[in-house]
Amino acid sequence: MRTFPAWWLPPGVPGRAAPAVAELPPHARGAEHPGTAPTAFSTTSVSDDLRLRFPTPDPAFARRLCDHLVEGGARLHERRTDSLVASLGRAGARFLDPADPIRKEALDLLPAAAGLSTAMAREVLDGMARDWTADRLARLVRAQFPDPAVLDGFRPGPGGSRVRAFGHRLIVQLGAGNVAGVSVGGVVRALLARSPVLLKPGLHDAVLPVLYARALADCDPELAAALAVLYWPGGADTVEAEVLPRAGLVVVYGGTDTVAAVRGRLPAATPLVAYSHRVGVALVGREALAAGQAARTALDAARAVAAFDQRGCVSPHLFWVEEGGALTPAEWAARLAAAMAALEQDLPAGPAAPDIASRVQQLRGTWELKQAAGDGTRVFRPAGAEWTVAYDPDPAFSPSCLGRFAWVKPVPDLERVAGLLAGLRPFLQTAGLCGAGTRAASLAEQLGRAGVTRVATLRRMAWPPAWWHHDGGDPLRALVRWVDWEVEQEPRPTV
Amino acid sequence: MNGTRLRDDLIGVMGAGVGTPLPDADFDALARRVWAHQCERNPAFARFCDARGVQPGSWSSWRDLPPVPARAFRERGLVSPGPAQAVFRTSGTTDAGAARGEHRVPDLSLYHASLLPNFEAHLLPGGARLPMVSLIPSPLEVPDSSLSHMIGVVEAELAAETRYFVGRDGRLDEHALRAALRDAEDAGDPVLVVGTAFAFVHLLDALATGDTRFRLPDGSRVMETGGFKGRSRTVPREELYAAIDSRLGIPPRRIVNEYGMTELLSQFYEPVLAGGARLHRPPPWVRTRVLDPATLEELPPGREGLLCHVDLANLGSVCCVLTEDLGVEPPEAEGHGFRVLGRNPGAEPRGCSLAMDELMTARRGPIR
Repeated sequence: MRTFPAWWLPPGVPGRAAPAVAELPPHARGAEHPGTAPTAFSTTSVSDDLRLRFPTPDPAFARRLCDHLVEGGARLHERRTDSLVASLGRAGARFLDPADPIRKEALDLLPAAAGLSTAMAREVLDGMARDWTADRLARLVRAQFPDPAVLDGFRPGPGGSRVRAFGHRLIVQLGAGNVAGVSVGGVVRALLARSPVLLKPGLHDAVLPVLYARALADCDPELAAALAVLYWPGGADTVEAEVLPRAGLVVVYGGTDTVAAVRGRLPAATPLVAYSHRVGVALVGREALAAGQAARTALDAARAVAAFDQRGCVSPHLFWVEEGGALTPAEWAARLAAAMAALEQDLPAGPAAPDIASRVQQLRGTWELKQAAGDGTRVFRPAGAEWTVAYDPDPAFSPSCLGRFAWVKPVPDLERVAGLLAGLRPFLQTAGLCGAGTRAASLAEQLGRAGVTRVATLRRMAWPPAWWHHDGGDPLRALVRWVDWEVEQEPRPTV
Repeated sequence: MNGTRLRDDLIGVMGAGVGTPLPDADFDALARRVWAHQCERNPAFARFCDARGVQPGSWSSWRDLPPVPARAFRERGLVSPGPAQAVFRTSGTTDAGAARGEHRVPDLSLYHASLLPNFEAHLLPGGARLPMVSLIPSPLEVPDSSLSHMIGVVEAELAAETRYFVGRDGRLDEHALRAALRDAEDAGDPVLVVGTAFAFVHLLDALATGDTRFRLPDGSRVMETGGFKGRSRTVPREELYAAIDSRLGIPPRRIVNEYGMTELLSQFYEPVLAGGARLHRPPPWVRTRVLDPATLEELPPGREGLLCHVDLANLGSVCCVLTEDLGVEPPEAEGHGFRVLGRNPGAEPRGCSLAMDELMTARRGPIR
């Protein structure tokens, strides 16, 4: 059983002496600076062979930590965007460099920490870390700010005014339930927006932010000092009662209950950026069922289901397949099953969490019994397979139980899908779309009206770019605080 | 009719009581007949078994029976086509918005034959015939609740007299209940209090408001059942039992947990009145296994997995039912039985995709 020190604290937080530095592996000692850490620690197993160890914050320590971050974070406003992009990108690029020990450690820990297979962990790290590089971060800044210099100082605005984007005094980022790597993305954006950030990671996404903080400390200690990664059990009231009022902005990733609970505990004036759990769906049009296309479509679809073992809000729960193409929807379901089987060799599923595995068994068994009853249902899943494709002739939306379980349902025309999404509006996110030909624009319009916030090809579905409007909001602009400076206009000399 | 003879044989086994062991070979012979009967009545089930290689000629053991998920009871007529004497429905609290599970029971005599000796052995041993105070609605109020039906049968066959204090809407008649508890205290005769965990919490909250405490007479006992599925307030079991002790005067060693589900016609009790361990004990006509959630292979004692029951009382539907409950069979030294751990104890979500249950619960709000 390995133990990973799953926290990062900036140097110099006033507090009791840390007793634990000596017991850390040498490369991890940077995570803890004398005089900063609280004395109580606890450990939690996240898999059979990995334990996470973290300081148990008491309310007084949490308060000092927030105050310390606010104080140090003020210096972020003296930094220029270019230098932040360079440092954040340099730290991020290390996760893509095969020779870098940070990448090696990430790949070593990620399967156990996030419950992924080794191959999927690599796929996830490659997909996520690509967005942490300087090039992608610079594109994110440009996509969000036509004049990026507003992040560095006042710039001319409309009507002769001047505008400037400031960071918040402190961003508190709570991650209860997200896929590995998501919390690093949030931290990078917060720092880019010049806010110090206190991250409470989800238990299964605690490794990457700590490793990222170490990488950042190596290249830019000042920036790393504006970041803290600290876990406490979700809803620990006494800690959050100190932390939440000190935040200028709170970002929360979590289920409906978590988001509602955080919203209820925030001071009225504190803005909240909430990413609640969502569903993805996919539309497969006739054009994608043609002889030369069907195999490619099925493989792309299989990869979209398999990514993150279907745990992402971008992951498709079901595929609506258009009737009248070269393959029937049921035949395409068989193609998808074949692609899932092939993909299982390259990107095997991670160990199934008992609750997900249980739901898979319930759905599989029930639909196999329905198939035996001859109602047109078909279930594809060879013995021992870690995926399921279920063809259901009823086109009504059905949620997947996850665990690489994909529904395939027929629709006479893709135009019908927007109607089938009624009632799901608050939960919709990505819609994969392929084979729609010239109808794509009108379908995108319909899907957007139905509540979908992203339309993507099946191939790109699981991998939104750094500048995507996650859940319909701005990735970077949502994190800044605008200041308008209305300059008195000099009266124009009369001629 | 073969079905009638089989039913009578099963009733005979149940009539021998929970203290009469049913050797595995005898259980197996009965299970085979039950399975053949079910295949005959339900061709879809026969094809389902066939697809898993379980055919009439290939029977080797009841352990080969393919588990049918409890979820399948939500598909109308799938597990029990044909006429029914009674239709029991699940409470529908776990997945609001989804169809409720439905157990069509063609012949209630097996249900009664199974529930009575088991209830008697664990709650009214030694011929005790106590007045029953029920926090479970009467079967007249909720005819499609298998739990209410069970209490109605106990009322008719085993209890001295029964009074109901919770209506079909779940509302507690607090005034009448206080009076009844006071009377029981005054009369000095022990009573049996039955209710769901949630009803007890409701009652105890009400008693705590005025700091009311009863001391029900010695020999009184409690049957508590059901968890807190879909409820806003949950209370750890130790806390609940301590509160029952302090508010009703019934100590934990006289509080028996019943684990049951609409999909099964037999129940599981903890043998605490007899001084046994807090483990749920299957009656002789039920075999419970703990299965690996991913592979459905049987797990050895000590390993947590999904509870799967083969209940011969389920003659009219399917007898091998895979639950969504995690459980564990403790190593043998601790005694015969299993411990129920619940749906997903203590897990943190691993992703940001909306899970099925969460979607169903969340949709209750915006849609209705």
